[in-house]
Amino acid sequence: MRTDGVHGHEAVAGALPEETVRGPAPEAPGHDEEFGQERFLRPFAVTAGDPDTPAVLGPEPSGIDMLSLVVAARVPGRHEWLRPERETILGHALRARTVVELAAEVHLPVGQVRGIVAAMIADGSLQRCGPSRPLARQDILHAVLVGLRSL
Amino acid sequence: MASADSETRPQEAIPQAVKIIIAGGFGAGKTTLVASVSEITPLSTEEVMTEASYGVDDIGGVEHKTTTTVALDFGRITINDDVVLYLFGTPGQDRFWFMWDELAEGALGAVVLADTRRLDTCFHAVDFFERRGVPFVVAVNRFEGSTVYREEEVRQALDVSADVPIILADARERGSCKEVLVELVTHVIRGRDPVMSG
Repeated sequence: MRTDGVHGHEAVAGALPEETVRGPAPEAPGHDEEFGQERFLRPFAVTAGDPDTPAVLGPEPSGIDMLSLVVAARVPGRHEWLRPERETILGHALRARTVVELAAEVHLPVGQVRGIVAAMIADGSLQRCGPSRPLARQDILHAVLVGLRSL
Repeated sequence: MASADSETRPQEAIPQAVKIIIAGGFGAGKTTLVASVSEITPLSTEEVMTEASYGVDDIGGVEHKTTTTVALDFGRITINDDVVLYLFGTPGQDRFWFMWDELAEGALGAVVLADTRRLDTCFHAVDFFERRGVPFVVAVNRFEGSTVYREEEVRQALDVSADVPIILADARERGSCKEVLVELVTHVIRGRDPVMSG
């Protein structure tokens, strides 16, 4: 469907060593500097070359945005086939988290995590959750005002 | 399909996530402001884009398309059990426009941080929020050694309408940043009735 991953395909099939694909999440500082330009390969690699979970810029058809809340729908680590990123996301989502927080925690671009989250919702690993007490915009604004004043 | 050992976890109280955008030119103090008021050390994620997303016209030949990443910093303020506020700093460079659309989507409002030494660097932000109808305030970040301008001078230079609050601020001071945010939310509440401004 989307063609913007074509380079990723070629690179994954061609040059990318398997350890890079399956290695642990890059939490070591300096990773970006170390890998520099080559880093563009990773986000596509973590979707295992699946063009249906692309890095998504702008709102997805599924309506998942940066502040969408998701929660784990099952216990992480019980599915051997899970890729490490997904397992990590599940672990962080044991309580409701926003997509952007998950992205920061797993050190992946937010657009990529959004794609993975959408896939994980589709396969039943995650579920979306709304606020327990949805508030009207005006009530939110007043709550924020009070909260900010008491900082 | 969901496997047999799936279990749905009982859910705790889940707050509503809302956001305020902190915009301004490169080096205007956005990250500093977020850090000053955030309850957590600001987190950083990034966005990947291709050159085709840049909004530049040099995209002839997708075979030369490359990707790059943009850092996206954000902080968090827990307002109460029902609301959590996120503060997002916009990417500093103008070419990362496309991200602004998503950042602005559903935002309560925006703070445009102005650096009076380089006032032109926040023109884009002012223009963007005006066009999108996102309510905003201008916070003039006081830098050491910069000339102190009066509110009217800044207003005139930025050409913002009289109802847009302009606040002198110090992004390093938590109290000052808090004032800016309070001013913004007050401004948003005040302007909730559609006001046509000339």
